[in-house]
Amino acid sequence: RLGKAPDWSTHRKPIFSVDIHPDGTKFATGGQGEDSGKVMIWNMAPVLREEDEKNEDVHKMLCQMDNHLACVNCVRWSNNGLYLASGGDDKLVMVWKRAAFIGPSTVFGSSSKLANVEQWRCVTILRNHTGDVMDVAWSPHDVWLASCSVDNTIVIWNARKFPEMVTCLRGHTGLVKGLTWDPVGKYVASQADDHSLKVWRTVDWQMEANITKPFNECGGTTHVLRLSWSPDGQYLVSAHAMNNSGPTAQIVERDGWKTNMDFVGHRKAVTVVKFNPKIFKKKQKNGSSNKPSCPYCCCAVGSKDRSLSVWLTSLKRPLVVIHDLFDKSIMDISWTLTGLGMLVCSMDGTVAYLDFSLDELGDPLSEEEKNSIHQNIYGKSMAITNTEAQLSTTIIENPEMLKYQQQRQTSTQTNSAPGTVGPESSAPKLNSVMNGESLEDIRKNLLKKQVETRTADGRRRITPLCIAQLDTGDFSPALFNSVPILPSGSSMSNQLTPHLSSDSSPGQPSSLGFRPSHDPMLTSPPANSLKTYLSNSGPGGQIRPFRIEPIKALDSRFTERSKATPGLTSSSTPAQKECKLKEDTSSDSEDKMASINKNLMYSKRKPELMIDGGEVVEKRKKGRPRKEKMTTSMVQSFTQVSMEPSVFLEVENEVTVVAGSKLSQLRCSKDGRDWNTLLPSSVVTAAGSSDLIAVASEDRMLSVFSSCGRRLLPAIQLATPVSALHCTAHFVMVVTAGATLSVWDVQKQKALVRNESLQSILSDTSVSQSLLTQQGVPVVGLSNGKSFCFSSSLETWSLIADKADSLVQCADFRGCLSSHDAPVSSGPLAVMQGRYLNAGRLASRLSSTPHHMQQSMTLAFLENQLASALTLQSGQEYRYWLLIYSRFLVNEGSEHRLRELCKELLGPVHTSATTSWEPTTVGFRKRELLREVLPVIGENLRFQRLFTEYQDQLELLRNK
Amino acid sequence: MAKVQVLNVAVLDNPSPFGNPFQFEITFECMEDLPEDLEWKIIYVGSAESEEYDQVLDSVLVGPVPAGRHMFVFQADAPNTGLIPESDAVGVTVVLITCTYHGQEFIRIGYYVNNEYTGPELRENPPLKPDYSKLQRNILAPNPRVTRFHINWEGVADTMEDSENVDPSPNTRGMLPPPCVPGKMPPLGLLPENSMDCL
Repeated sequence: RLGKAPDWSTHRKPIFSVDIHPDGTKFATGGQGEDSGKVMIWNMAPVLREEDEKNEDVHKMLCQMDNHLACVNCVRWSNNGLYLASGGDDKLVMVWKRAAFIGPSTVFGSSSKLANVEQWRCVTILRNHTGDVMDVAWSPHDVWLASCSVDNTIVIWNARKFPEMVTCLRGHTGLVKGLTWDPVGKYVASQADDHSLKVWRTVDWQMEANITKPFNECGGTTHVLRLSWSPDGQYLVSAHAMNNSGPTAQIVERDGWKTNMDFVGHRKAVTVVKFNPKIFKKKQKNGSSNKPSCPYCCCAVGSKDRSLSVWLTSLKRPLVVIHDLFDKSIMDISWTLTGLGMLVCSMDGTVAYLDFSLDELGDPLSEEEKNSIHQNIYGKSMAITNTEAQLSTTIIENPEMLKYQQQRQTSTQTNSAPGTVGPESSAPKLNSVMNGESLEDIRKNLLKKQVETRTADGRRRITPLCIAQLDTGDFSPALFNSVPILPSGSSMSNQLTPHLSSDSSPGQPSSLGFRPSHDPMLTSPPANSLKTYLSNSGPGGQIRPFRIEPIKALDSRFTERSKATPGLTSSSTPAQKECKLKEDTSSDSEDKMASINKNLMYSKRKPELMIDGGEVVEKRKKGRPRKEKMTTSMVQSFTQVSMEPSVFLEVENEVTVVAGSKLSQLRCSKDGRDWNTLLPSSVVTAAGSSDLIAVASEDRMLSVFSSCGRRLLPAIQLATPVSALHCTAHFVMVVTAGATLSVWDVQKQKALVRNESLQSILSDTSVSQSLLTQQGVPVVGLSNGKSFCFSSSLETWSLIADKADSLVQCADFRGCLSSHDAPVSSGPLAVMQGRYLNAGRLASRLSSTPHHMQQSMTLAFLENQLASALTLQSGQEYRYWLLIYSRFLVNEGSEHRLRELCKELLGPVHTSATTSWEPTTVGFRKRELLREVLPVIGENLRFQRLFTEYQDQLELLRNK
Repeated sequence: MAKVQVLNVAVLDNPSPFGNPFQFEITFECMEDLPEDLEWKIIYVGSAESEEYDQVLDSVLVGPVPAGRHMFVFQADAPNTGLIPESDAVGVTVVLITCTYHGQEFIRIGYYVNNEYTGPELRENPPLKPDYSKLQRNILAPNPRVTRFHINWEGVADTMEDSENVDPSPNTRGMLPPPCVPGKMPPLGLLPENSMDCL
């Protein structure tokens, strides 16, 4: 009954959209800002209660976002209240999330002194539309987000994996101006300027119905066509329709999509229809008979004729019609979740709040009653059964399971921003990295502290000080699913209360309080403020008239983009490119030359000293050893160094000794102890580990010495010259110019790999990298990005990394990374795959592959990683990937694979002579690994049977 | 939407003698890791009448910029007084801070600057030839004018969609302020991914 226009919440510019947060504590508006689109978030309390409106300490505006470049046509909260989606004339859909970090801030450059009390940060931008986005809508349970545009399409986005696009619905031949989801998630309906209303199935995203008859007479005269689906799902009500040349809101029945009824009475086109989220039943009056009345729905209709009508489906006439509330067309309507309040916005830049009493509308059904209506009509909807909401009612049967569930809950809480509880806590957070230093301290010394370097071309380059990091893993499914789905709004508002109250606590500067006369949106022209400024400080307070002109001229300078920048840069870029290209081609040609002649290519490799730690320090005593190595007769000595314990190798070729015979001297110093030995031929390359030193000489001899200089093996004659030599622990690996590879175990005096030919893996490529793992597994990286290792047990080359592998590019397992395990960066797998792994993860965010494809790709990728780590016998990496793999399986619910994995790790419970099961793998006890995997499995209630099964068996085995 | 939002610019050492370096403490937020550096410039408008007297006081590259909130102080020497028309030395002018990415300007922050003599005598009777040593520079810090431009954040400049960003024709270049060294921009895809010496 009460209609009041909260005049302070006016944009002054047209407001195109309004939406009340599901918890009822705030609402968002979208519209036109000064020179951009504007999204604003407002506090609901001052709207609801007059005393809060008058209270200066209660913030009216919570946040404003200027990020949209053009008018914002629609703002919609997700059903769980965590996200806000906005769509605008800049063709973008932005998804916002509350960031729980550093305090209030203003929009820089806006003259408004009002701070943003809450920080809402754009977490994702959805780009696909080629025209203005007119409407956005979240599906029930926030599975999808739909957006429609004047490009005639509707795009369905995967709301659990932004910015992934599910599909693009094509079929409209005019501007699509409204969207609504079926409350049970089976359909989505759209209305467009092409005189049609279309209903699309969510099962196959095909068109279910195309309703045109009621719209034949319509002209494309409304800005929006916001249609709405009734909460019981039985009726769909369109915006602008015509019946006997009168504007109506067409009622479409779900059953057969019949169009027999409409809401009549508005004098101009209907722009927006919005059903009350509640289903009502007639209020039981004392004394009246308990005759069960049929539940009904309530619907608000707004029109271009500036009036608003509210209808109950049980009544033939409108419940109430409000004229002249606004000066211009109504643009959007939003009900509170309680069903008793409503916000209406208009082109005239105002928002009105209306509230109703139970007497007027009736008794709202509870969520349970509503759900039972849904289930009676539709059975269990897909959307309902698929959600974790149902799982939460699953009984936890195992106390261990309970423990892991609780741990998971506490860890999600502690992982989230400190100091906040409840759903807000999973908002993207800025992790402060200031180490206890206050921002003020940092600012004082910033100029001194900041790192400034010079680039190659002499330019200053400043490394900015990162004062807060953004958490980028926003839309991982795990995180999203852990958010409680809002059943009625009450539970959430409870959780929110402490947070909100902290917002308005006296800790906030009181200057942020709201002043009714002050229009936050109005930017005072700076020229004026400059005048005041001058009159304050200038002589005699007089502005000299001739100054006005320059100021105008100056004014234009603020907005005109400097022509210098693009012009100059673009002109210089080609030159840079060219010189870059030159460099590249020169090195390219070098490579080519190298690959023409294998000998040359191999001998080009510089001698390297590999030592177990991986960290290789090299010291070149004299100049450019690379060149010298090409020429086999080295006169100069060179030094190769390694650490831990620091071992220095020094070779002096052609040391003239008596009688003209030329010998080479090998000097080694380790921990200050030196030894040296003489070799009959020039040394080509040398390598060492903490255990041994290997030297290859010009006459194709390989000599191996202990770290104290004792010769361990007689000289080995190689068929062709050595091109790469590696030592790790007690293994020596040689790659020869004849494209063969050998590995010896010096300790056991045994060959692990015997003259294995590289021809099978070298097809038109060259070796770019080679290494020997701690376990004596040789790894060869090729110029085409593939890396192979030779598995001596399988006696074959195995592909362990392929940089061109599309699986790597598309795999997305960020959600499965645990904060406890630091990524293994030093293992052979990581070395060979290099930073491509990172790039792949980045690319996955951009890829628009459907979820199930990406899931399979990730699975395949993770299994590849596991197998590769196993072949490389890289224990740490195996364990690392095993945990990621199992977490992924747990998240994605692949029970069969999980079970197989557990079975393999557990092995046979009863040992017999015939069992071939190995209790260890790559240095780990399999059952220990299983013990690590089980808590991961325990995090998902779905697998509690599996968890219990293996937990029990492990216990059993332990007690044995 | 812009990947980089300027959250605040604090004008340090203000007001100050004319010859003091400009110091701006810039705070910005970046939505995702930027593969390229940002290029910031301070441009001093020597005369309102003509761009001819614009001076690029300095330009710096800022990077690497991972997703997050960052700050740095941009310090640049005072303008070369020889390039300022004498009639414009005293009075109101403008200093601009611009930021470009991939050679495209996406934000321009302008401040009015008032250059005044400190003493009342000089103010009343300013010398014919400006005495810069007695001038005080006062930047009108509370009133920045911020203009944001839509740029293509993803690719290179020539794939941009809106005509607003098209490079000016080459013949306008004669009027431009002193050229500054262009940003170092290794073209994408030409970076050597893997070299022989990576071990």
